[in-house]
Amino acid sequence: MQWIPEYREDVPRVERFNSLARFTHWTHTVTFLLCLFTGLALFLDGVDWLAAIFGGYRGAGLVHRIAAVILTVSILTAMAVGFKGVIAWIKDLLRFGKNDIGFLMVFPLEFLGFKVKIPPQTRFNGGEKMNSVVTPTMVFLLMISGWIIWWPSIWWPGLVRFSYWVHDLAMIFGTLMVCMHGYLGSFHPGSGESFWGMWKGTVREDWAKHHHAIWYEETYGDKAKTEEE
Amino acid sequence: MTRLMTNLYDSSKCTACRGCFTACKDSNQLPAVFDKSYFGGPGNGTYDSKDGDTDANTYMMIRFNETEDPVDGVRWNFLKWQCMHCMEPACLAVCPKSAYTKLDWGATFHDEDKCIGCQYCTYACPFGIPKYRKHTDTVTKCTLCYERVAEGLTPACARSCAPGAVKFGYRDELLEEARIRVKFLRANGFPRATIYGETELGAGTNKLYILTDTPDKFGLPVNPQVEGNTVFWQDWVQPYAGWLIPLALGGSAVSFVTSRVVANKNEEHGKGGHA
Ligand code: HEM
Ligand code: HEM
Ligand code: SF4
Repeated sequence: MQWIPEYREDVPRVERFNSLARFTHWTHTVTFLLCLFTGLALFLDGVDWLAAIFGGYRGAGLVHRIAAVILTVSILTAMAVGFKGVIAWIKDLLRFGKNDIGFLMVFPLEFLGFKVKIPPQTRFNGGEKMNSVVTPTMVFLLMISGWIIWWPSIWWPGLVRFSYWVHDLAMIFGTLMVCMHGYLGSFHPGSGESFWGMWKGTVREDWAKHHHAIWYEETYGDKAKTEEE
Repeated sequence: MTRLMTNLYDSSKCTACRGCFTACKDSNQLPAVFDKSYFGGPGNGTYDSKDGDTDANTYMMIRFNETEDPVDGVRWNFLKWQCMHCMEPACLAVCPKSAYTKLDWGATFHDEDKCIGCQYCTYACPFGIPKYRKHTDTVTKCTLCYERVAEGLTPACARSCAPGAVKFGYRDELLEEARIRVKFLRANGFPRATIYGETELGAGTNKLYILTDTPDKFGLPVNPQVEGNTVFWQDWVQPYAGWLIPLALGGSAVSFVTSRVVANKNEEHGKGGHA
């Protein structure tokens, strides 16, 4: 059985994510998961073996905080340094249209492995557009509420109580998205190739043409080439 | 169930000598805290410490509440302020470490060895009692002198009270005593005298008060309540919402299997390409 598609160097490849995007993505993946597991030890009301992995509850609390600082700093830095990329990303999200709705309608079948006909997609497909809105929103809510409950005494008490459940709910919805997203971005046969886009930076040209036809055409297609010349 | 044992504090007998407060510090080996306003605080210039509060090294204090009334004139209402040992404690409900337990005789016991200092309890408590101590990274609060009680002694505050304003005994007996006392006070110049702690927060608290006036005149919440945010967090988010995560994991696992079974028929996808 195959886990993820093989990385093929012998076929033409095109760039999908630059090094800043990739570095930031994997930094926040690691820190998000560290925060998640250290946090779950508390959320589930004291899971001793989970806390023991981090050297007990105090260790887990420390790991949660260190990961939280790295997560916050890396995201804010990347947003500042890669500001242009963020804007391009948002612009793509704003292109949400009929083709994205078409994607979302047939996606459940594709998710289960059936062959379906999907309308041409821009750089991010309908599902990735949803992910691009929901997950970062949850991460921002986690950051804001997290910093509040870290230093509760400097805030208005009602805000602290509010932050407790916001932190939990954002964790739940964020993790729900990440469970699906992490799977789709790796082991899912239909989209597994995208993993190499995030890991090595490039994806197979034929895959890009098929999965993100509009993006491919605009970035690497004949029209884009003539414009460059 | 064992008979509940509790403190009864009678504000009409308290002279605010603060003997209980000193005895509490002594018994729990707590240092004095000079930057706090036991006496109104440096520069405050009054004895009105109604804004004083418990802190990590002060499990209990006497608050001075100055009230002014056109009929009664100016009055000082003294209040013994500490953990109320609620019958259904919110701190116990929110604590992720199960550091709180309800002892069978009524005390809400906090185990400092289990505590990790997250302070959820501080914000859940309707009275805001548990306080954070930086150097131990834990919270602390009144213990109802559970070690003393286990030895057959009374809590330090009750032991020390000269005018007999703080008592310790069986809750049912003390409630009976309180009813008689309130009746007496109402007939003798305190028409609004009342019992506090019998039914507050539904199940009541395991500290009983005889007040010579309405609770608000003592700086006590008239209708103490666990905040809606805390209730929503504990009763809805924590027990139910978390199921969404195993659901998403399960969905991905199902897809992992089905897409491999079905995808065998359209191989080229599995290879990542679309030749
Ligand atoms: C980004 C900045 C973040 C900060 C500053 C932060 C801070 C905190 C703090 C101070 C606590 C209280 C527990 C303790 O004292 O150890 C906490 C709990 C928690 N955090 Fe975070 N956190 C952050 C991000 C995250 C992320 C990304 C996740 C999960 C994906 C997460 C999940 C949790 C969970 C589940 C709890 C336990 C809540 C409970 O007991 O119900 N946190 N966080
Ligand atoms: C668990 C392991 C993870 C894997 C294998 C993974 C994989 C990927 C891949 C392959 C992409 C590129 C998709 C494309 O070609 O457009 C991507 C994009 C993205 N990832 Fe992850 N990721 C993981 C965890 C996370 C986490 C923890 C977060 C945030 C908390 C996150 C947030 C995002 C976002 C916002 C995007 C861009 C939108 C999208 O394409 O869906 N990822 N990820
Ligand atoms: S501060 Fe300690 S006692 Fe209070 S909720 Fe957190 S772990 Fe429990």
